[in-house]
Amino acid sequence: MELLVKNGFVYDPLNGIDGEKMDIAVKDGKIVEKVNERKAKKIDASGMLVMPGGVDIHSHIAGSKVNSGRLLRPEDHFKDFEPKTPITRSGVGYSVPSTFTTGYRYARMGYTTVMDPAMAPLEAKHTHEEFNDIPIIDKASYPLLGDWWFVLEYLREGRIEECARYVAWMITSTKGYAIKLVNPGGLETWGFGHNVRGLDDQVPYFCITPREIIRGLCKVNKLLNLPHTIHVHTNNLGKPGNYVTAVETMKCVEDLALENKPAIHITHCQFCAFKGDDWRTLESGSEDIANYVNGHSHATMDMGQVIFADTTTMTADGPFQFALYELSGNKWVNHDVETETSGGIVPFHYRRKSYVHAVQWSIGLELALLIRDPWKIFMTTDHPNGGPFIAYPKIIAWLMSRKARGATLKKVNPRARSRSLLPSIDRELGFCEIAIMTRAGQAKALGLKDKGHLGIGADADIAIYNVNPETTDPSRKYKSVRRAFKQAANTIKDGKIVVNDGEILKHVGGATMWLDVQTLEPIKITEEMKRKFKEYWTVEYENYPVTEHYLEVSRPITVKADV
Amino acid sequence: MIHLYPKKEFDLPLIAECINPDVFQNETCEKIEQLKIWEGNSQKKLGELFKVEENQTASQPEKTAITIYGDMSKVRKIGACMQNGEIMIQGNVGMHLGEEMKGGKITVHGDAGGWAGSMMKGGVIEIHGNASDYLGAPYRGSSEGMRGGKIIIHGNVGSETGAHIQNGMIKIYGSAGQFAGFRMRKGIIYVQNDCGGRAGACMTEGTIIVGGLLESVLPTFSIEGVRKKAKIEEDEVVESPFYLFLGDLTESGKGRLYVAKEKNPHLRIYERLL
Amino acid sequence: MPVVKAVTCPVCGSLCDDIELTIEDKEIVKVKNGCAMCESKFLNYNGKHRIRKPLIRKDGKLVKATLKEAVRKTAEILAEANYPILYGWSSTSCEATRVGLELAEEVGGVIDNTAVVCHGPSLLSVQEIGISSCTLGQIRHRADLVIYWGSDPWSAHPRHIERYTTFSEGRFERSEWRGYVAKIKASIGRKKIESVLRRLFLKKKPTVPSSYLEGRVCPTISREGRKLIVIDVRRTKSAEMADYFIQVEPNKDYELLQAFRALIRDQELDVDKVAGVPVEYLEEVSDAMVGCNFGALFFGVGLTMSRGKLRNIDAALSLVRDLNTRTKFIIMPMRGHFNVAGANTVSTWQTGYPYAVDFSLGYPRYNPGETSVVDVLMRKESDAALIVASDPVANFPRKAAEHLVENPLVVVDPHMNATAHMADVVLPSAFVGIEASGTAYRMDHVPLPLKRVAEPPRGVLPDEEILRRILSEVRKIKRKKQVAAEAQ
Repeated sequence: MELLVKNGFVYDPLNGIDGEKMDIAVKDGKIVEKVNERKAKKIDASGMLVMPGGVDIHSHIAGSKVNSGRLLRPEDHFKDFEPKTPITRSGVGYSVPSTFTTGYRYARMGYTTVMDPAMAPLEAKHTHEEFNDIPIIDKASYPLLGDWWFVLEYLREGRIEECARYVAWMITSTKGYAIKLVNPGGLETWGFGHNVRGLDDQVPYFCITPREIIRGLCKVNKLLNLPHTIHVHTNNLGKPGNYVTAVETMKCVEDLALENKPAIHITHCQFCAFKGDDWRTLESGSEDIANYVNGHSHATMDMGQVIFADTTTMTADGPFQFALYELSGNKWVNHDVETETSGGIVPFHYRRKSYVHAVQWSIGLELALLIRDPWKIFMTTDHPNGGPFIAYPKIIAWLMSRKARGATLKKVNPRARSRSLLPSIDRELGFCEIAIMTRAGQAKALGLKDKGHLGIGADADIAIYNVNPETTDPSRKYKSVRRAFKQAANTIKDGKIVVNDGEILKHVGGATMWLDVQTLEPIKITEEMKRKFKEYWTVEYENYPVTEHYLEVSRPITVKADV
Repeated sequence: MIHLYPKKEFDLPLIAECINPDVFQNETCEKIEQLKIWEGNSQKKLGELFKVEENQTASQPEKTAITIYGDMSKVRKIGACMQNGEIMIQGNVGMHLGEEMKGGKITVHGDAGGWAGSMMKGGVIEIHGNASDYLGAPYRGSSEGMRGGKIIIHGNVGSETGAHIQNGMIKIYGSAGQFAGFRMRKGIIYVQNDCGGRAGACMTEGTIIVGGLLESVLPTFSIEGVRKKAKIEEDEVVESPFYLFLGDLTESGKGRLYVAKEKNPHLRIYERLL
Repeated sequence: MPVVKAVTCPVCGSLCDDIELTIEDKEIVKVKNGCAMCESKFLNYNGKHRIRKPLIRKDGKLVKATLKEAVRKTAEILAEANYPILYGWSSTSCEATRVGLELAEEVGGVIDNTAVVCHGPSLLSVQEIGISSCTLGQIRHRADLVIYWGSDPWSAHPRHIERYTTFSEGRFERSEWRGYVAKIKASIGRKKIESVLRRLFLKKKPTVPSSYLEGRVCPTISREGRKLIVIDVRRTKSAEMADYFIQVEPNKDYELLQAFRALIRDQELDVDKVAGVPVEYLEEVSDAMVGCNFGALFFGVGLTMSRGKLRNIDAALSLVRDLNTRTKFIIMPMRGHFNVAGANTVSTWQTGYPYAVDFSLGYPRYNPGETSVVDVLMRKESDAALIVASDPVANFPRKAAEHLVENPLVVVDPHMNATAHMADVVLPSAFVGIEASGTAYRMDHVPLPLKRVAEPPRGVLPDEEILRRILSEVRKIKRKKQVAAEAQ
């Protein structure tokens, strides 16, 4: 099918197009040079923004943890539901939406690619089964590898290449996309109810430090030529004073970066940009982090913006979640996974009037505004940890408009307001920068060649928003910008129009992207590995990998490794 | 005043949130008949299921009073979220009666199903028959129990009456099932007659008064003393000696559990601790 | 003879996946590694109760029909129903449940799985308290204290102790198997000596010593290594193996759990005995709980279905949560059917709710007690039913079963069970995990593949495929109805 998006203001930063009025031609699901104008279906985008489909680098949308969160919170769902229509399946929403609803809600906002950032390898099948039920959007997941016994043992012994081979095997077996580290070393320590306190704290029984794990996996990442960098949730997350850990984490791989290429992604940075000794003296560490990032080119990050709402926090960081339970007294789920990782869930309400929450809200925006290069920081809420993803339009408004920030700032805790850096920041982002932070930059950091841009050959994932950049000043009219980003005028996925004015027109299955990491020699399953398998896990080696049966729309990406 | 008469005996469950004085207000009878009600999995109009009559009297000139005649035990969510007005039901009524009610009054001359007055914030529910389980309790997974208002039951109630109650009052002139006042945080629950075991389990504050036999007191309550009387409200005081227990220790709670001394000779063993 | 390795056993929630089957002439002739239940399932599944042809009730009798007729009839029943129920799902694959949910949504019915009669209360409590849990390997590697409460793994989950807990070999904790053997030997020896002494000196009937009633704490509670505690209303087979056994008075589990909660907070109790057990013994046990490095509490239907139901679990979950401020502790329900966890999991990701999901308003609603199948039947509200891989007529309260069979009833099952005998349409299905592949979730939510190791009888399809056909037939009927309505 051919499609022609006519006369829109196109924002395609990866191809250097900044609001030019032009047509986008689509054929067979790809962007093409031109189509037969008489035959093609035409979409009139005049007076509207045309952008590549949104890309989310970090959003918990599927898998065992997310599902435990769903199960935990009937009270979160029961007032937010979507009835079945002749086209769509029914579901429930709010902070942890059911699978179908997740797909529809992302598509309605013009998002077409979402990365689930935490998959326990042992439970990878679960993530993929859920992916099959998340319609429209393309997905991928990062296996949690920072506390996997194989990694800890091989890195301790300095056997980087063998470690790399096992990691390659793991990524391919779990149909994963990137190496995820969560509180490296801390999760193994949590196995007995403790935690590590910093980069140089030893992991009990394993004689290795978080620093060694991060550096080791960074090297592994390079050896394997993975498209994304290591994706790191730092140690000490959610603790006052942890901005130091965040900066040290970036510093510790400084020397491993090559040719100004990123070597590390610090995720939901807001949660590790806390200054101060305790909750009462909490302050923003955003300036220190921004200064570091502005001076270096080897790190990217995402915001992890906080939204004032009732949400459900979920991370693989078991000890952090337990601390959050102790702090809030809310219900708490813990789920440790043998030899690999852990996880926790706590419902949490971010309140405007709370000093700490308001400071957190401010930190996220400060980071996004103080880091000068939008290719280095991306917009996320770490859904649903900072708030549900449906709040993205609000964040766009805050980033684009001082007035919007001021309006919210007026309503927050006065002490937090007086300490916030936001009033001193004049920067207001333009549509091009928003396009970078919400799609182009994220796709680039992920190494997704066909996503996040509208060049010839790219996937025809397009979002059209009903706001006219020539006549609308987002700084003043932030509300109309917010409205426009909330409901895309059209979302096009693989060349098909799936959303019109926020209404789902088609239920299509999105693809699952995964890395087929090919090592120089094919990975052999040695007797040693089989023996270890029996010792380490309670499932058989044969039943461990995720077979293609579990991927309804499989999109493998071949990667040639150097080992 | 609006009168509703069911046109048949209902077998399927009905969801009728629209039977609510706030909705009926300022509507004509014809409009009221057009309101949507779910019967099983099909949507019906109120007029298909009920005969609607308007009866203007001097005292109730508006449609803020609704009277229903007949067995409504399959009809759920009557008066949910209502803020004003009055509903009277001459017969039994189904689940979620007056759920999240904020004001007004509901009277039932019959029995009520489960979750009556669930998550209630204000107003009055009076049931002359029995009420089922989870009276005034919150929805699954929620700890936001009843916040205010008053529930009066003249018959018996099921288990978990007033679970998670944060404020307000529940008075039961019959007996109650087990786990009355479960995880109670504040407010008052009065049970005139007998009470199943485990009253006040995990309570942190608030008061439970049991006028009859309490099957057993949880081991995690400690005896505080004997009191001559217990106050329910300003003008309602029960004069009779009560054992006063404090608990629940598992939650480091300071809830007060009054148990009538005379009706509970099996609790005499606690007296040695006084 | 071909041997199939790493087969997942489709019997209980332990979901052992190391079964080796020997196949001869397309028949399973030998089972290795499995327990007695597993062997019996793999060797005898194809017995005389097997249904081989679809059946439809005509003039009061079930008569053979074609698959097409039976599917058509089923679709008609479901499409016309005003409040149908779709029940079962715990003994089939996640893939089948996935289609089942779509079907329930399409017909506006109530879909519920067997959790409603076993661990439903556990899920309700998890929704209030949360749960501190882990995968079973974590317990194998780390647990030095294992408690089974209201559960008899020796009989119901025979390989649970050996594969995952006390008798398994972990990285940080060793198997207690040898210790157990030594203990048994010692106990046999002691019994011999005792009986000799009795015969020689006392010549009177021995009294049965129960460790706690005798007023003496079992010395093994304070020893090194992995410890096993069993708490139950009767001395089960598992209790015999335990280092410590507490016999709780029937229906007093809640009191006992709450007492433990108070004790681990160092609170003083006013009473001397709780649930028939002296408080000093409870103190010993609570010390063991606080003192361990990694404790695990498994609970079974003995706890979920005794008086207090969900609140028993509420207390157990709270106890474990509280223990985490002192040490590491986890809790896990002992799920019965091999894929009841999977049925909950799929239901949760599609609808947000684990069981008892009501689609009658076109979107998922959930409130067990209101939308749970047993309660719907007790109130006589449903008007048709589809039962997949379950036997509610045999398991439900009589009143509920009566209403179930009074209305049109369809059964999809490999076996002619009690429910199938009462059905209006019977659709034979392949055995999931033997004749059909798929996915199941272990009690700790680890997904495992189910293998197809044998051929189903000719013309017999897996649940998933049968349900797909019913769904497409339902859609056809609905479309026709819509066209007819529009024509008017």
